[in-house]
Amino acid sequence: MIDPGRTTMLWVIATFSLAMLPQLLRMPLPVAAMTLAPLLWRIGAELRNWKPLPALLRHALTGLALIVLFLAYGDLSGRRSAVSLLTLMLALKLIEGYRIRDARLVVAFSLFLCATQFLFGQGIAMPLYGGATVVLALVALTRLQRNEAWSHEDGRAPAVRASVFSELGFGFRLLAVAVPAGLAFFLLFPRLANPLWGIPDTTLDSKSGLSDSMSPGTIQQLFMDDSPAFRVTFEGAPPGAEDLYWRGPVFWRFDGNTWKGSFYGTNIEAGARPGLSGAPWAYTVQLEPNERNWLFALDYPATNPPDTRLTLDFQLIRRDPVIQLIRYAMVSNPDFIDTPKLPQTLRQQALELPEGANPRTRALIDRWRSDTPDDAAFVRRVLDHFNQEQFHYALDAPLLGRHPVDEFLFETRMGFCEHYASSFAVMMRMAGIPSRIVTGYMGGWYNPLGDYYLVRQSDAHAWAEIWLPARGWTRVDPTAAVSPLRIQQGSLGALSQPRHLLDYSWLRGMRNSIDIVQQRWNDWVIEYGARQQARLFSPFGLEKASPAMLVGLLFAALAVFGAILFPLVLRIRGPARRDPVQKAWHEFLRRLERAGFAARLSSGPLELAEAAAGKLPGDALSIYCIATLYTRCRYAPGPPPMPDLRQAVRDFRPTRSAG
Amino acid sequence: MTPSTAISLAIGPRFDRWLLERVRRLRGPAELPLTLEYRDIYVMPTRFGGWFGVLLALMAVAGLNFNNNMTLLLVFLLSSIAMLTTLLVYRNLAGIRINGILARPVFAGEAAQFHVLLKNPEERHRFAIRVTAEASVDCADIEPQNTRRFQVGQATSRRGWLELAPFRVENRFPLGLFRAWSVVIPRARCLVYPRPAVNPPPLPQSGRGDHGAAQRGEGEHFHGLREYQPGDPLRRIAWRTSARHQKLYSREMEAPRDDACELNWYLMGGGDTEEKLSILTAWVLRAERRQIPYSLEMPGAALPADLGENHRDACLEILALFRQ
Repeated sequence: MIDPGRTTMLWVIATFSLAMLPQLLRMPLPVAAMTLAPLLWRIGAELRNWKPLPALLRHALTGLALIVLFLAYGDLSGRRSAVSLLTLMLALKLIEGYRIRDARLVVAFSLFLCATQFLFGQGIAMPLYGGATVVLALVALTRLQRNEAWSHEDGRAPAVRASVFSELGFGFRLLAVAVPAGLAFFLLFPRLANPLWGIPDTTLDSKSGLSDSMSPGTIQQLFMDDSPAFRVTFEGAPPGAEDLYWRGPVFWRFDGNTWKGSFYGTNIEAGARPGLSGAPWAYTVQLEPNERNWLFALDYPATNPPDTRLTLDFQLIRRDPVIQLIRYAMVSNPDFIDTPKLPQTLRQQALELPEGANPRTRALIDRWRSDTPDDAAFVRRVLDHFNQEQFHYALDAPLLGRHPVDEFLFETRMGFCEHYASSFAVMMRMAGIPSRIVTGYMGGWYNPLGDYYLVRQSDAHAWAEIWLPARGWTRVDPTAAVSPLRIQQGSLGALSQPRHLLDYSWLRGMRNSIDIVQQRWNDWVIEYGARQQARLFSPFGLEKASPAMLVGLLFAALAVFGAILFPLVLRIRGPARRDPVQKAWHEFLRRLERAGFAARLSSGPLELAEAAAGKLPGDALSIYCIATLYTRCRYAPGPPPMPDLRQAVRDFRPTRSAG
Repeated sequence: MTPSTAISLAIGPRFDRWLLERVRRLRGPAELPLTLEYRDIYVMPTRFGGWFGVLLALMAVAGLNFNNNMTLLLVFLLSSIAMLTTLLVYRNLAGIRINGILARPVFAGEAAQFHVLLKNPEERHRFAIRVTAEASVDCADIEPQNTRRFQVGQATSRRGWLELAPFRVENRFPLGLFRAWSVVIPRARCLVYPRPAVNPPPLPQSGRGDHGAAQRGEGEHFHGLREYQPGDPLRRIAWRTSARHQKLYSREMEAPRDDACELNWYLMGGGDTEEKLSILTAWVLRAERRQIPYSLEMPGAALPADLGENHRDACLEILALFRQ
């Protein structure tokens, strides 16, 4: 058994620790604890020379870890749980692996683990994480290779590099030299236009963003999430803030607590679509992966991107979940009447309410409705009620019980957009006006540097739509009645208190500005694919690059790198270092030559001195002296009398020989 | 795990044999000094390099399928680094000079130790250079402009010249993904003396005793009695005299000093040649140890009586190379 040695093992552990860090932060607490325990034990074992754990204990720990993992995730087919399993297994390998092979396995799979992390996010910080992991892995592998070379002496390899920094420097240089070739591969390695196989839905376990139902609290959760949802670039003039309603899932069915989509709404294609007359908005959306099927668009979508259908209630539903950054072009036209005639089945669905719930609200609505039979006036009255009574827009809304609308309207009067939208839609239905809930995002942060709108998860919003004769489905945002700021300044501007410690508006502004880096990264690196590759040479007049052409070019690029590297790397003879002794001697010969004595190159120093002294008897003494110093520099033990030789040669000024 | 399995070859012994044949055919035995150059150096992935490549391929397929560009970027960078190490592993070996191979004579049955002198004539460090043979491994760094001695052990079974079997100079710097190596078919040999007989007959001594005073202590001739001293062998105790005097007495023995012995092939009678050589070898060693001058007479060679390392080595060499 060849032990990699303490320092090397610590490098291996460092590599693994860094590689698993993002995953660790994503794990449920018990799994994270089960991952950290073996890691910390091994560090202790290396530093304190603890004995290896008995086999029985190790097996028990492994079993326990698997049970904890299963209990925490429920099933192991998801991506998150699968990567957690890999992480856990590698951590457990640390308590039983004492050979170079084991250490190598841990390092190699740490790199694999690093690659899996990019499935969860390809943000701008990820290259740093990846690069650092690779550098650590290179150092660890180099050390392991050294230990293996000395395996016949138990891996006790002599140390080479003095400090941690020089080792890191070595790894970094290795990486840096490989970067050009790596980039050539990245640009030119032919990509797949269509995936070979799809991802089964069961593996999608890190869904984010809006969901397919809405109950009090769902949007509130998103409100804490500052990660980008999508970015939008408008082709012409962007719409005003009051039109930036990004339509997402639409809900028809209400069970007293939760809103859900309708079968008709999601399965029937949109009948009439808005035309392109008037002033439509053309824009491109770059949607961050959320593992869901909705695409977001402004009211009302006139087109639908490929592999997407536009439903009756104007949801854009994609065939496959969005598992990677996608970009789609959209045209929306606000000048449109959605469903001028409401069919009976839909009307029924848009009026359905659970029996016997919210009696106080029903009584109130009945009273108001008898006063104001006109639909538009009635809507105004309800909105005025929200606006004039003491309703608050707040994050920490209390949980509601059996009659949520009653409690909200008459008691708590405190809530978030979903409370207002939900209550409003219920009140409309009670009054016989068809209504539905639309969820999506509201607003966006305009980045002037990149000329795009950034919409974050925290911009999630819910509003209502009511159907009025002749006007069709009409958007009504009750939140706007309560808190106009919410609409003008975005969800965060409407709040009086920060959401957490670092929640300041200037910090948010900075983050929004810095987002341009992320946007560019997305544009240039993450979105690069078969389509961009085919157009790679369009600036040079080549409209479509075929895979064969790309491969050819890749080989050419590699050949160029090789041509640059080969002479640098493979130079057999390094430049002859200027040997100071040789230099002094050559100077001596040069001076002799000037004085008229040409030395035979084959003669040794003493032989030469003798000949020279014969030719230049006046300088015989210094010639002998220099020759002796030279031989002493070359052959005598002890420190060479180098300064003396140099001085003697410098002082050597032979008089020209007569002949 | 034994060292030889730990450094099991990348492709296997069949490939190594094929390669050896190829080198033998193409280049023949090496003339020293031999500089390792590009046509002498082979680069192949190690077993670890092989499965690391499989891992990279898997990552690449997944990255391509999901068009996950960060994963692809990582895979491509790691592949480029791996490709770069093929140059580095080659560079770590190229230019090394085998300056000489020396070996001291050994007796048959002992392992011959060849010393291979590797010089690094350049200004860069050579990391973890290994010299490996069938049953031995040696590893060292070679500093710039420095020479290192590597040991190659080889088992011996019979006397005579032992040719050093082909060995490899190799390294796996820096990541262990690739191995660069050179097969060296050396022209080096080690003299193997006959195996000394374990229980040889007594030295054939002339017993003339004409070379000075006898030496007391060991010997076959009775010299006198003295009082017993602790440490005297029991068989030397003169029991009858001791009983008479109520005191222990030991017999003192003597051997004729400079009782030159004649080691003569012709006087050994018949028998197996190798056995006789073994006995002669044992005699040479014993005579040398006891400082008894000895002469050697063999068919076709004879050395007059003498002592000393040179004489011993000359005798042993005659015995080692007898009829070869």
